[in-house]
Amino acid sequence: MKKAVLIATTVLATSSIWASSTSFDFKDPKGVNNVVFKLDAPLESINGTATGVSGTVTVDPADFSTAKGKITVETSSLTVPNPMMKEHLLGENWLNAPKNPAITFEIKEVKNVKATNGSGTADVTGTFTLNGVSKDITVPAKIAYLPGKLGDRTNGKVQGDLLVVRTAFQINRSDYNIQPGQYQDKVSETIDLSLAIAGAAPKS
Amino acid sequence: MAKILKLLAVAAAVAVIGAWALLGANRGWTKTSVGIQKVDPVTDISYTEYESRFVPGVDFLAVGLVGAVALGVIGLVISKIQSTKKP
Repeated sequence: MKKAVLIATTVLATSSIWASSTSFDFKDPKGVNNVVFKLDAPLESINGTATGVSGTVTVDPADFSTAKGKITVETSSLTVPNPMMKEHLLGENWLNAPKNPAITFEIKEVKNVKATNGSGTADVTGTFTLNGVSKDITVPAKIAYLPGKLGDRTNGKVQGDLLVVRTAFQINRSDYNIQPGQYQDKVSETIDLSLAIAGAAPKS
Repeated sequence: MAKILKLLAVAAAVAVIGAWALLGANRGWTKTSVGIQKVDPVTDISYTEYESRFVPGVDFLAVGLVGAVALGVIGLVISKIQSTKKP
């Protein structure tokens, strides 16, 4: 009887350790976290990046399907090398950055997790909001949990863990009411998005 | 006056083409910043850092050449007017 209680206690204790969720903050003062967007139209190719990434994801590193959270990209952080193009991009005819200051992805569900030793792939379903329009989409993600690696990034000043998330997917700009059906020879209907971000979970 | 304008037109055209070619012969639009690819050694994330740099594009070339042609045309018109006024 005592042995059974001991085993049960051990199992419970162990499972509670593994089931502990960790909160990762994706605000990156180094400016490494980024989104790349590409639009390849017949007459013009537009490539740019956005670095104003923030948000929090809470996940059990041993079970990525537990992930919950929201990633936000500041619309005003979208950058293209041509200043006039940037002005148009953020202006009221296109993304209207003053009115729609954030592009967000809120995680609803994580499925098809294939992970070993803290890294793997998953399909992440969530609500993607762009230009004030929200749609549920599913994106493929590569996730890597890097325990104890925060110290390497901060020259030892802050210890903790990192969670690296990468994804690449496509959206149609007309789905998000971005000049639907207009200027398709110069501004592609399909937008390729790729995101590479690292979240930090400091440990005291 | 007409001769000066024609010389200025040629000089402007040469300067515009020379500047465009020397600063990268960019066949896209003019850029005021250039992205430099970097990789974060810990997370292996590739990211772009922008540095301010003027890279003239085809719009710069077009505006410059149109300006040079305009100068040349004005020079030709003046020289024609001057030649018709001569007895």
